[in-house]
Amino acid sequence: MSAVEVAAVPATRGFTAPLRFLGSELSLIARRRRNQAGLAVLASVPIIVAIAVRVSNPTSSGSGDGGPEFLSSITGNGIFVALAALALELQLFLPIAVAAVAGDAIAGEANVGTLRYLLTVPVHRTRLLAVKYVGIVVGTFIATVTVAGTGVLAGLLLFGGGDVTLLSGTTIGMGEGLLRLLAICLYLTACLAALGAVGLFVSTLTEQPMGATIAIVMFNMISWILGLIPQIEWLHPYLLTHWWNSFGDLLRDPVAWDPLRNGLLSAAAYIVIFLSAAWARFGTRDVTS
Amino acid sequence: MSVMSSRPALRWLVPAAAVAVVVGGGAAVGTLAATAEPSLPPRTAQQLLVDLQTARLDGLSGTVVQSADLGLPKLPNLSGGGSGTADITSLLTDTNTLRVWYSGPDKTRVALMGTLGETDVIRNGKDVWLWSSKANKATHRTISDADAQAHQLPNDLPITPQEAADKALAAVDPSTEVSVGRSATIAGRDAYELVLAPRDKTSLVGQVRIAIDATEHVPLRLEVYPKGSDQTAFQIAFTQVDFARPDDEQFRFNPPPGAAVEEETGTPEADKPDAGLPGHRDGAKTPEEAGLSTVGSGWTTVMVVKGDGKQAEGAEASQAAQVFKALTPVSGAWGSGHLLSGRLFSALITDSGNIYAGLVSPERLYEVALENK
Repeated sequence: MSAVEVAAVPATRGFTAPLRFLGSELSLIARRRRNQAGLAVLASVPIIVAIAVRVSNPTSSGSGDGGPEFLSSITGNGIFVALAALALELQLFLPIAVAAVAGDAIAGEANVGTLRYLLTVPVHRTRLLAVKYVGIVVGTFIATVTVAGTGVLAGLLLFGGGDVTLLSGTTIGMGEGLLRLLAICLYLTACLAALGAVGLFVSTLTEQPMGATIAIVMFNMISWILGLIPQIEWLHPYLLTHWWNSFGDLLRDPVAWDPLRNGLLSAAAYIVIFLSAAWARFGTRDVTS
Repeated sequence: MSVMSSRPALRWLVPAAAVAVVVGGGAAVGTLAATAEPSLPPRTAQQLLVDLQTARLDGLSGTVVQSADLGLPKLPNLSGGGSGTADITSLLTDTNTLRVWYSGPDKTRVALMGTLGETDVIRNGKDVWLWSSKANKATHRTISDADAQAHQLPNDLPITPQEAADKALAAVDPSTEVSVGRSATIAGRDAYELVLAPRDKTSLVGQVRIAIDATEHVPLRLEVYPKGSDQTAFQIAFTQVDFARPDDEQFRFNPPPGAAVEEETGTPEADKPDAGLPGHRDGAKTPEEAGLSTVGSGWTTVMVVKGDGKQAEGAEASQAAQVFKALTPVSGAWGSGHLLSGRLFSALITDSGNIYAGLVSPERLYEVALENK
């Protein structure tokens, strides 16, 4: 596994070594069957949404109130399949994808006994952690873009494109609509990367990748559940997931930047705290497997 | 790093420091914003009142956060919408974020932000548009000049601090004690604070505090405190404000393709509650039609709506029954009925169909009901 590949990397102090290490990490993530299957599941949601809307409601425009977000706009423009799918997958599916990769990062290597070989290569522990985290962030971005990209493709095939109606009722061209969708993907990647940082920390605590993954998903769900309880409203802005739905603010005219800025600040705070905690934990840990 | 290697436990100082910086930094910003009291040249309450009335506002744009904690029982959702759907009636409860643009009285736009939705009320000249992203529906109304005098928006709820302050100032008369409070910083701007307190101690209202921008003389925040409480029952404040005149672009609205467009004719229904009198939501008629009268004056005015004795029918009746279920049944020498009692106001709906409401305790309503029996 990765130990073998990394062992092939010459232990030089050159500039290319870290990049090659990252490359091997990324290809490791990409070649895992479970990750490929997970990506396929993520991509299936927008396809299901598009087909379901197409089959059940071929002519009428919008079903009014109720139902998941953006669903009523899909018949008008296929790009909304991507937005509906992102909104649907944001609570559980995307976090599970992040948790699967992040939980595996350290605990997975420890579990199959490759972690100590990795460290004897020699790869500095801090660099190993950094490469693992970059791998998580790239994986998160790919997951998000897969959902959005599949959604756009399925939507355009079944419903066609055209001008995009924003939440504020104004319309923009298709090109700008796609740009805003890309911005949403980047914003969600930043948000989910915060969960990835929590995950990397959890992954340094255990040698059971499954346990780490479950713990990360539970952390995510607890955050969502706490966000639903109105009695603890004072706590909500500090929850990991509180600002995730603010991606909709990129669809207003003009864009409401304040919630987005708060969301990025919140994500940055989580990333700094949990990455440094992961670094402290991993640096002091006895690696025996 | 060498210290870190020899004393690994020291590594934990780094995440600890990160937590301290993030939490401490956040708290420091919060406290600074909350307690910083700008030093402003003193102004009397009278001067501030004049400032408010003479303020000329060319335009502004900003974000307003409004929250209400009226201490009401949970009423069935009359509009049928779910939570977070950016519905106008949700202004009566919970916390809401609105974005406002103002460029003269005939060019206004208010956007109520839902989680992944938005409700816009846009007025541009004689056109008024109500847009709901969730329903994908736009409602258009053309207003006549007469309407234009009476209504700026098809809704009388105070959705900007300015409107809220206008309503509060309408109550300034000999029954009100006006004083100047501590100055404050709101949305990054220095502000004076005007404190209105009812002289009549039977009112449920303790204080109304209006923060006024020191240079633009525009209300930036309005807080209503119930008597004997330091928790606001109603608050509306700018969190961000810009006094530059917004672009005309903001007020242009064309219904997007694919949206349902509804043309509304005739005068709008005037049956919207005053700030904090949702007891009126039960009546489907305008107060004037339904025989509105008042008892008393100033802060302790009690509004009386004489019922026509007719029973509501169909959906209206079942809706009324649902509402009644959430209210407290009460009875006394005045008869019997249902009471809606909040932190700021009380409303009494008698079984004979009369409605009594005011910023007073239920006991005062019973007295009025007895007199009107």
